[in-house]
Amino acid sequence: MSGRGGATDGQVVRAILAGDTERYGELVTRYRDRYARYAARMLGSADAAEDAVQDAFVRAYDQLAQCRDPDNFVGWFFLILRNRCFAERRKSKDVAPLEAAGAVAAPERPEVPVEMAERRRALQHALLELTPEQREVFVLKHVEGLSYGEIAERLKTSVPSLKMRMHRAYDRLREQLRDQA
Amino acid sequence: MIDFHPQVKQLLDGELTLADLPPELRAEGEEALRLLAAVDREPVTFPALEARVLAELRRRQGRASSLWRRLVAPREVRLRVRPWTLVPALAMAAALVVLLSRPEPTPPTATVTVRFVLFAPEAQQVALAGTFNQWDQAATPLVRTGTPGVWAATLTLPAGQHEYAFVVDGARWVADPGAPAVDDGFGRRNSVLSL
Amino acid sequence: MKTLCVSLLLAICSTASSAQDVTARLAGRVSPEVAALVQQLATSAAARGLPVDPLIQKAIEGSAKGVPADRVAIALRAVSGQLDAAAAALQQAGAAPDTDAIAAGAFALNAGLSDQDVTTLAQVSRPSSSVAATLRVASTLAAMGVPAAQTVALVTQVIEAGGSTAEVLALPADVMAGVSRGHGRGRDVTPAEAAAGLSRAAAARANAPGQTKPKPGKP
Repeated sequence: MSGRGGATDGQVVRAILAGDTERYGELVTRYRDRYARYAARMLGSADAAEDAVQDAFVRAYDQLAQCRDPDNFVGWFFLILRNRCFAERRKSKDVAPLEAAGAVAAPERPEVPVEMAERRRALQHALLELTPEQREVFVLKHVEGLSYGEIAERLKTSVPSLKMRMHRAYDRLREQLRDQA
Repeated sequence: MIDFHPQVKQLLDGELTLADLPPELRAEGEEALRLLAAVDREPVTFPALEARVLAELRRRQGRASSLWRRLVAPREVRLRVRPWTLVPALAMAAALVVLLSRPEPTPPTATVTVRFVLFAPEAQQVALAGTFNQWDQAATPLVRTGTPGVWAATLTLPAGQHEYAFVVDGARWVADPGAPAVDDGFGRRNSVLSL
Repeated sequence: MKTLCVSLLLAICSTASSAQDVTARLAGRVSPEVAALVQQLATSAAARGLPVDPLIQKAIEGSAKGVPADRVAIALRAVSGQLDAAAAALQQAGAAPDTDAIAAGAFALNAGLSDQDVTTLAQVSRPSSSVAATLRVASTLAAMGVPAAQTVALVTQVIEAGGSTAEVLALPADVMAGVSRGHGRGRDVTPAEAAAGLSRAAAARANAPGQTKPKPGKP
């Protein structure tokens, strides 16, 4: 992965480990929003996602010396964020999306019609009822647009097992949406 | 509970199109596509994230030059109190106080907007009483938020020190277990808010 | 003679107007019994240069909480005592204390700091930061559970390291941030531990003139 000025992730990571710690900012800038949407759909709230991404960056810094493949910092970072998203405890099964206790509600997007906003809310709510693994495969494929092959590579698993997970997710979502209606 | 037909699942996976489905599965196929259409793919961005991460790292590393440097942008302080870590007797009341729009530094005549939040699922009514409203629970009721069990109120308070407590169902005075607490002189505790 | 009359008149007027303030603020909120006691304590406090507001607040609070009058009376006398003790502790620090600082000192005593702690904090504050602000911050830290000795040490270190009032004011939030970051990582960090961390950092800052380059990746 390379960025502005041609410095690869690996070069930046090695510089940081050699003592030029301020350069971590380059990695944060580079990948700040890369998984923001993934975290938001996994956790159901932009605020929770921001906290999770922030924590993941801090944790990645702490453990930077343990990053085995500095040229693939972003892949390693993704796993840290993923663990953080999976570990997030949901306070209540009825958490409304875009609103967690104490968080300021996300601003309304005027260009989205009310009916569509409501259906999005309903689907996000249903997604939160899935297991984190089911939710993740759905988010990676249908939100992030990855193919089953790409997901399998990233999660170090097989396409058939992903499909099985996804198909269960489809059925549970259908059930949840019907229950909500 | 009725599962999607396997062919409809292939449709969802993008391996088939609606036209590929037999007529008796069309309706189910359309239902499935409506489900996918409700997926929120809007990009999400965190403009303030670099500053927050770097400030956190600097603070933790103790670098001499920026040890006490604060962010220029308005500062958010989130107190996260997880209900299950609290003393069980007080588990009903986990109050989160979120400070919004706090200019830095705070001049003497400035005000700060504060959002008081209380998790009290059994309550019928919740109020806030403190030095800023003459301890009048009628003055500041909390309202239910969209999240079950969570009550909130937003106040604009002058900078300075304030004592407060929540009043549940008009009679039960509850201090905020997550906030600093002082003896109220009457055998109970008040919470302290420093702005 | 004329001067004496004028100053007496002023003294009487100011007592009278503050008596009216007290009555106005208590009206409808406290029982006549409590109001009379507040009046008495307030007049005496004002004459000694002590703030009256803490007494009024405590009376209103007690009544709002449905506390019986005799219990409120006990609390009011306790506040009065704390105001006196705070004023004395501040005088020990060597300046004529203002009512703001006395109120903050009384609050600090209530939060668990000692007279000596109040004196020390006042001494350290002058002249670089506001005594009242320092005392309020220390009270908040103590109220958060940071032991008194540690509270005084941390605040002193920050001020002596050249910290501004704004930096002192940020201390409770810094300690809280340390606690909540610990929770975010599934660790229980107490306010005392978070404060200790800040103290170590402040001491390091004071002792190391050069810039150190910390290594990331350390446990």
